[in-house]
Amino acid sequence: MPDNFQRVSPLADIAIQGRFGADHGAPGVTLSVRHPVLIATVIARKGKAKALADALKSWRGATVQWAGAEQYFLLDKPFDEVRKKLEGLASCSDQSHGRVIIRIEGPKVRQVLCKGTPVDLHESGFEIGKSALTQMAHVGVHLTRVGRDAFELSVFRGFSESFWEWLTEKAEEFGYQVI
Amino acid sequence: MLIKCPHCGTRPVEEFTFNGDASIQRPTSNDPATMDQWFDYVYLRDNPKGRFDEYAHHSSGCRAWLVVTRDTQTHEIFNVVTARDYAKKRVAS
Ligand SMILES: [Zn+2]
Repeated sequence: MPDNFQRVSPLADIAIQGRFGADHGAPGVTLSVRHPVLIATVIARKGKAKALADALKSWRGATVQWAGAEQYFLLDKPFDEVRKKLEGLASCSDQSHGRVIIRIEGPKVRQVLCKGTPVDLHESGFEIGKSALTQMAHVGVHLTRVGRDAFELSVFRGFSESFWEWLTEKAEEFGYQVI
Repeated sequence: MLIKCPHCGTRPVEEFTFNGDASIQRPTSNDPATMDQWFDYVYLRDNPKGRFDEYAHHSSGCRAWLVVTRDTQTHEIFNVVTARDYAKKRVAS
């Protein structure tokens, strides 16, 4: 199915580039919005969890993030390809318009995030590539560690504006930049 | 109160939505003669003091249905399993 919709980020007019908050020293965190991005939810069919995990593991170029028991977010692959590849193994749905991914990185990233989530984000227990489902400021957040001091926060599109406001407010004391 | 989700690890109780007694079983018959069983199933609940199996939905986490066994008096948690495993175990026993 051709995608005729122009994808507009709900944060297009809100995530303004620049330096904000505390203005001394290097910024504590850097924020950016990943847009556009291909996102599919993938949920294993009955009895296919192992086969699905294997298929995802060996799929080059796909970014696979754990998103609950026998469920994943699959990034960076066109939805038609996802559905074709995983036919019979999983139920898939295109979430590219439905979710917003905010990338946050920098030396103060854990101090910012721990204001919102009880999940222990220390790298000894939360390695690069690991994901967790949690809540920050009453918004359901899917977070993934993508680097030592870098995380991706995926939220429902409709909550992204208020979540952005909350997140930037929490980052103010450290100084943040938006790129 | 902290609950150890089998999928997510230890999480605060605020992330969960509780949905009552997990030990009751839905009647299988639609025969009107079983109306008493249905009445019990739909309306009647015990209010036990002590050990209690309770449905918990990890609504702000992995969205899995779980069964938490806790002491209603002390809130000590003995066990957390997925509702799927709980049901399988019940069928097996
Ligand atoms: Zn969970």
